[in-house]
Amino acid sequence: MKSSKLWLVLVLALSFMLVLAACGDNNEEAGGNNDNNNEENNDNNNDSDSTERGTITAAMYSAPGHQFNPLFYSDAYEANILDFTHEALAKLDENLDWEPSLAESWDINDDFTEITFTLNEGVTWHDGEPFTADDVVFTYNVLMDEDYVAAGGVRTNYVADLETVEAIDPLTVKFTYTDTNINAIFDAAFIIVPEHIFGDVPILEMPDYSASRNAGEVIGTGPFQLTNMLEGERYELTAYDDYWQGAPGLAGITWRVIEQSIMPGLLENGEIDMIAEPNGVPAADFDTVDALEHITTYVTQDFGYQYMGFKLHHRTTEDVEAGVIDPDNWIENEKIADVRVRQAIVYAINRQALVDGLLHGMGTVLNANFPEASWAFDESAVNPYDYSPETAEELLDEAGYVDVTGDGFREDPDGNEWTLNFDYPTGNAVRERSAPIIVENLEEVGIRVDLRNPREAGPHFDLVEEDDHDWDMYLAGWSLSAADPDPSALWLSTAPYNYTRWNDPVSDELIRAGIQAPEAFDQDYRKQAYSDWAAHMSEQVPQVFLYSSDNIYAYNSAIQNVKHYPAGIYSDAHLWTLEQ
Amino acid sequence: MHGHGRALVLSLRRNVEMHKYITRRILQFIPMLFLVTVLVFALAKAAPGDPLTGERLDPNIDPEVYEIRREALGLNDPLPVQYWNWLSSVATGDFGKSLQYTGRTVMELIQARIWNTFYLSLFALGVTLAIAIPIGIYSANRKYSLFDYGATTFAFLGLATPNFFAGLLAIYVFSLTLGWFPAQGTTTAMSLTGFELFIDKLRHLVLPGFTLGLASTAAYMRYMRTEILEVKGSDFIRTARAKGLSNESVLYKHTLRNALIPIITLLGLEFGTLLSGAIITERVFNYPGLGTLFLNAIQNRDYPVIMAINLILAVTILIGNLLADIFYAIVDPRIRYD
Repeated sequence: MKSSKLWLVLVLALSFMLVLAACGDNNEEAGGNNDNNNEENNDNNNDSDSTERGTITAAMYSAPGHQFNPLFYSDAYEANILDFTHEALAKLDENLDWEPSLAESWDINDDFTEITFTLNEGVTWHDGEPFTADDVVFTYNVLMDEDYVAAGGVRTNYVADLETVEAIDPLTVKFTYTDTNINAIFDAAFIIVPEHIFGDVPILEMPDYSASRNAGEVIGTGPFQLTNMLEGERYELTAYDDYWQGAPGLAGITWRVIEQSIMPGLLENGEIDMIAEPNGVPAADFDTVDALEHITTYVTQDFGYQYMGFKLHHRTTEDVEAGVIDPDNWIENEKIADVRVRQAIVYAINRQALVDGLLHGMGTVLNANFPEASWAFDESAVNPYDYSPETAEELLDEAGYVDVTGDGFREDPDGNEWTLNFDYPTGNAVRERSAPIIVENLEEVGIRVDLRNPREAGPHFDLVEEDDHDWDMYLAGWSLSAADPDPSALWLSTAPYNYTRWNDPVSDELIRAGIQAPEAFDQDYRKQAYSDWAAHMSEQVPQVFLYSSDNIYAYNSAIQNVKHYPAGIYSDAHLWTLEQ
Repeated sequence: MHGHGRALVLSLRRNVEMHKYITRRILQFIPMLFLVTVLVFALAKAAPGDPLTGERLDPNIDPEVYEIRREALGLNDPLPVQYWNWLSSVATGDFGKSLQYTGRTVMELIQARIWNTFYLSLFALGVTLAIAIPIGIYSANRKYSLFDYGATTFAFLGLATPNFFAGLLAIYVFSLTLGWFPAQGTTTAMSLTGFELFIDKLRHLVLPGFTLGLASTAAYMRYMRTEILEVKGSDFIRTARAKGLSNESVLYKHTLRNALIPIITLLGLEFGTLLSGAIITERVFNYPGLGTLFLNAIQNRDYPVIMAINLILAVTILIGNLLADIFYAIVDPRIRYD
């Protein structure tokens, strides 16, 4: 019968699959052995040692863009590699203070215009060449070069006030600034690249150059070296045994790119050992992952946050077209000009409910832009604005916004219709879902809100910036690094990123006081200055701080010596070992 | 003798006509291709924003930097100029540089992935045909049997199940729970070589390949069944049966051959479908092919990459159609070339 032949084919195919499935098991072992062989081969210093050291597999949800030159890298996935392969002169410690890294110590002159670093002795690049002050000078000269931006670089903020960088001797380097620089250490803490590799490469060709791109050719001073990669899939870091702080305790770290939804399963069955930057464990999966016996979790507040901005002023069309930020030309937005209205809006929004409901409780309600880990954080300075629709209604009544038509919505003090326009972007699911909830909260206290259709993130943020329109409120977020708390870039009235167009002389003055020389050389003085500023901002409510989500890290408990720092868990990775 | 000569003349004329037909189809292909480039470009540019807009998350970066970069990338040029620049470089095989991946050419990104997608599509196609044709034949022969109902149910389930769901289910069952097949990527270890590497790659293909293949299996099974039932009802089959041919001979020599003809046309179209279906499947299995590249490019407004992949997709579908038409003309003498 022909039909039995068909069945035969099916049965044969099925058995082929089973053989394939079965033969994988042997294969994995074989693969494992090969791995070990490879490591032994790579490692010509100490064979017996390398077989004892373990290799861990870390995972991220998207592939790096393959730009492994710190001057030009652009995504957090590339940073996952560079954090292990490259270093800077200084790094942040567990209190978000600067601690020495490539530099052994530093000295700042009295008027804060010069900072002189003494470099550690015996630091070598992955190819064995010594690390010297010339490498630092070279790196900063590239950042200052006029071709740097044209070549695709964006990190000009490190050299904004830099006048010169000079090598005094091979282990001493001096940065000179045009003006007093409170952030001298931050500005000098950019990742250093090797001059002997890139010295002869024209800057415009640097991003294409093989040492910026290829595994095995990317040279840093870090404890691990990128030795092998399979595009979009797998990135193998191997221990650099001549690392200046001693040979790393792990033989290697393998980065794998995985699909987020199956991450808990892969952690559970041991295929991956670590999940960290940039998105870590999703809040919804936290309970599942935390319940795994062999997994350690670490939860820390993200430095970035989400907010609902008020468009306190709009720019004129001419200014938008010319790209001018001039507070004198701005047009005040009368609808939300009364500070009591803005305060009422914060009281009316149940922000804790957003955190509990949308973030599964894995987040914090914010009242100022300083993360709790920062020394500038001062809880007592700001009004907590605990959810209170009653207070909101009182404030609105007091401001004269009452319902005169009896339709359930308040009119403005002149009795005219009062509708607040509210725009929000797609892309961030939690943020997207928070918009209608906020509207509901506001309507409960009688504020009529016109919730517009969401836009894609790109066009939305274009409009946040090009604000010659009728927006009153918008949703947005900032992703911030753990650098200096100076709020100038976002909050000075003339800052391009001052998207709320908040024009408040008191605020500007307080912000400037925080970086005022010579008082600001004293951290206690600055702490007070930022408390004063936060208190003023909290009262004026230029925007509603919504929440900062938690960063959730998870790793196999067999990995020892992982440091739980507010800025992440990658610090001192050379100390990591694998418990057998 | 006379009849033979006539047949020869006819077949010669047929040949000439066929060549004319094929030439005409290829000539039609060229303006179509041009139209596709206009569409691909216009669609990409019609979407609001460019790679440098979007959430400028990091306030440390000077906004002026973006303006300088936009100018350098030619994003401020008028659209016709941008189109012409793009078209003339595409004509020389240069798809430009990726905007998202600093310093990489689109060609390079595609070359690193296109084979993965090709293998996956081929495997999926193999899965589709190997399952769909036998089952289609079998259930057509036993119309309304339990097997037929079972196959139909399976077909509709397969059609109704979204790729990403089927993929996650497959990962959960066959990888995380049973541990038979790897869940992600194309290889286990980069140190594998030769036959071990081949087997390893094959094992990584199984889950995404079946996920991708099973979706079209359902459709093909139904086509196969319907075609066979239709052919079976035609006059020439009745004639064949009347001649006293065996069931098998009727099925395999007459019915199957004719029933397969429409399937060939479908196959020509299938490669395009496979490539686009692969976008979701590749994502779920993190299989680094054109699909994951495409999704990433869309998310990051990487226009040169989006346009290049769109163009590749369009050209694949056009060529698939062309080949199907030509092949159809060859196997089915009833086709008229006008």
